[in-house]
Amino acid sequence: MADPVIVDRVTKRFAGHTAVDALSLTVPSGTIYGLLGPNGAGKSTTIRMILNIYVPDSGSVRLFGEQGSGRDHSARIGYLPEERGLYAKMRVLDVLLFLAELKGVDRRAARSKALTWLERLGLSDWRMRKVNELSKGMQQKVQFISTILHEPDLLVMDEAFSGLDPVNSQVLKDTVLELRAQGKTILFSTHIMEQAEKICDHVCIIARGKKLVDGTMSDIKRTHGGRNLLVNFDGARGNADAIFADHRLVAKADASGQFAELELAPHADAQEVLRALVTSGARLSRFELAEPSLNKIFIDLVGPDAATPVTRPEVANA
Amino acid sequence: MRKILAVIRREFVERVRQRWFWVMVVLGPLFFGALFVVPSLLAGKSGVKHIAVVDGTTTRFGANLTERLDRDTLFVAVRVPAAPATIDSLFAAAQRKGVDSSAPHPIDSLMAAVDRNEIDGFLIVGDETPDSGKAMYRASNISSFVTIATLDRILSELVTVTRLEREGVNPAVVAKARIGVDLKSDKIAGGKITGESAAQSFSLAYFMGIILYMSILIYGINVMSSVLEEKTTKIVEVLISSLRPFQLLMGKVLGVGAVSIFQFLIWGVSTRLLISQRRHIMGKQGLGDAGQLFQMPHVTPATAAVFLAYFLGGFLLYSAMFAAVGAMSSNEQEARQAQQPVMMLLIASFISMFAMLNDPGSTLSVTLSMIPFSAPIAMPVRWAAGTLPLSEVALSLAILAVSILGVTWIASRIYRVGILMTGKRPSLKELVRWVRTA
Repeated sequence: MADPVIVDRVTKRFAGHTAVDALSLTVPSGTIYGLLGPNGAGKSTTIRMILNIYVPDSGSVRLFGEQGSGRDHSARIGYLPEERGLYAKMRVLDVLLFLAELKGVDRRAARSKALTWLERLGLSDWRMRKVNELSKGMQQKVQFISTILHEPDLLVMDEAFSGLDPVNSQVLKDTVLELRAQGKTILFSTHIMEQAEKICDHVCIIARGKKLVDGTMSDIKRTHGGRNLLVNFDGARGNADAIFADHRLVAKADASGQFAELELAPHADAQEVLRALVTSGARLSRFELAEPSLNKIFIDLVGPDAATPVTRPEVANA
Repeated sequence: MRKILAVIRREFVERVRQRWFWVMVVLGPLFFGALFVVPSLLAGKSGVKHIAVVDGTTTRFGANLTERLDRDTLFVAVRVPAAPATIDSLFAAAQRKGVDSSAPHPIDSLMAAVDRNEIDGFLIVGDETPDSGKAMYRASNISSFVTIATLDRILSELVTVTRLEREGVNPAVVAKARIGVDLKSDKIAGGKITGESAAQSFSLAYFMGIILYMSILIYGINVMSSVLEEKTTKIVEVLISSLRPFQLLMGKVLGVGAVSIFQFLIWGVSTRLLISQRRHIMGKQGLGDAGQLFQMPHVTPATAAVFLAYFLGGFLLYSAMFAAVGAMSSNEQEARQAQQPVMMLLIASFISMFAMLNDPGSTLSVTLSMIPFSAPIAMPVRWAAGTLPLSEVALSLAILAVSILGVTWIASRIYRVGILMTGKRPSLKELVRWVRTA
């Protein structure tokens, strides 16, 4: 099966500022793909180009291995934008039917599917109520139903979990996992690494419009991990600070009191560090060669300055 | 196409479901009814006047006058006999202001009756009235000039008749001489008399102008707020991922347009009903004469076609501009400011209608009916008020059609960029860039 999304060197500029710079990525079929980056990295712009809401200045987007833009394939794509919103004065069921119609679903088929989903998410009593009579959490559920009602092969969610309460967050996660089990592909962006780490098969980390790394979660952890040491002291720290500052052994140290997370210097051996610590009189309760958290990889890659977002591209342009 | 239909359907159904739509449907005919009545009221009519005729004559003059007044639909008159001396003193008092005012006078009780609103006023006539033409009318509301004019007319007629009869002219001859002129005007179209009077042409032109102005305005603003709603709720991003901005804009305009046509149907039927019941309604209010100016016009199929063509043209032209205004604004306040230039265009076209009603053939009128922004109101008004060569209508429609294409092209580019923009409203320079780059 062809990869649902192939982005090939797309660039998008807004009023002299480059939001996305020659970015390429491939979303494999049947996976949960996380597009990660700090605020203002170009995640939303990338997603909008995939959906043909924005037209790239250069480069191309190929969907389902076929010709045609995101709009041409819109019946196979479900899209949950970063900023949520529905027609406030419409009835819940009517909104769902309308949005399904735009995806080419027959009204009658859409109705039965909508009722099933409303029932499943506990909203069936609300189907004839106006959207603005619903609580925010309920509106989020309605919007989520509208995203998947037409049973898309590709689900695209921008800042998927932002603004969700824990219950809805869980509902969303369960549904996403269920969709993957059905062979659907999910592409979502987030800047919250803990969520991405839990459910993503693939990730792509971008900053300032450029790709820093992409690949499967395990590959990335392997490439960027195995060089990480977790150290817990048991009282005496010996000469730890001097050892952590030794760049022949330790590239980076994040030490606080009784705990330290270290990154080994290139070509350094973890055993040397252990020996040095013990020799200096430190007492250790833990010495572990660990996989780094996605969060750490992210911060290492992005760096502190890239994490400072430039102005929102849309605002800058307006 | 199916997606556009879905948009049209949503716009139509949601609008027709709203309460304001039915409020408009009900208030519309009421409003047009008011358009019939208010000008008549402004012309000075306010219903039947109850007056007393203080008769100090020794002849039948006072009694005749009372009878003539009472026969007029405008008045209910009662004769109050008075001694000639009383009348003389009244006239004298009027000439030498306030000399006798402290002394009690029979007329005081009538003044009190006016004060208590038992009667609207009283008319004082004496024996010298037929000779000198002198008479007095005192009322709580002298400014009602139709009342005064009618009073004047009836009094003058009677004085003339009385004088002629006194000179020995045969009453039959007098009666013959009194038959008034009834000027009948007919509109000529295509070398034939249409049977449509000037009053009918005027009222048709007037109504078409008002209806066109109001509906283009109301439905144009409807398109604008619809665009704005989708933009502010951010749902537009979802929509744009499913269909082209132009398709969305088209569905929206057509959907709102369908609502307007639906409303026209309802209004058309009720206005028609109102006009056919006009005599009845006006008669009840004693407004028989006022109805003269607004007679039921003959709405020929050609007139209906012109009206519809220009309404649709005007609606498309203005709603495209209103859509662009909605797209470039981030909230209601901004939109209200940004819509000013578009409103000005429309209001100017509406106001120019009145100049045109005076002379539908003037250079100004012809120019206005060619300029695409004023043509949707100007041309139907000219069409209704006078007869136009078809070539002129065709030229004006052609200009309008080309302008719609041009304006829609520009507006849809602004729309395309604008609906996804946040932040401050764009300057004119930025708008030009949007149009260029979109």
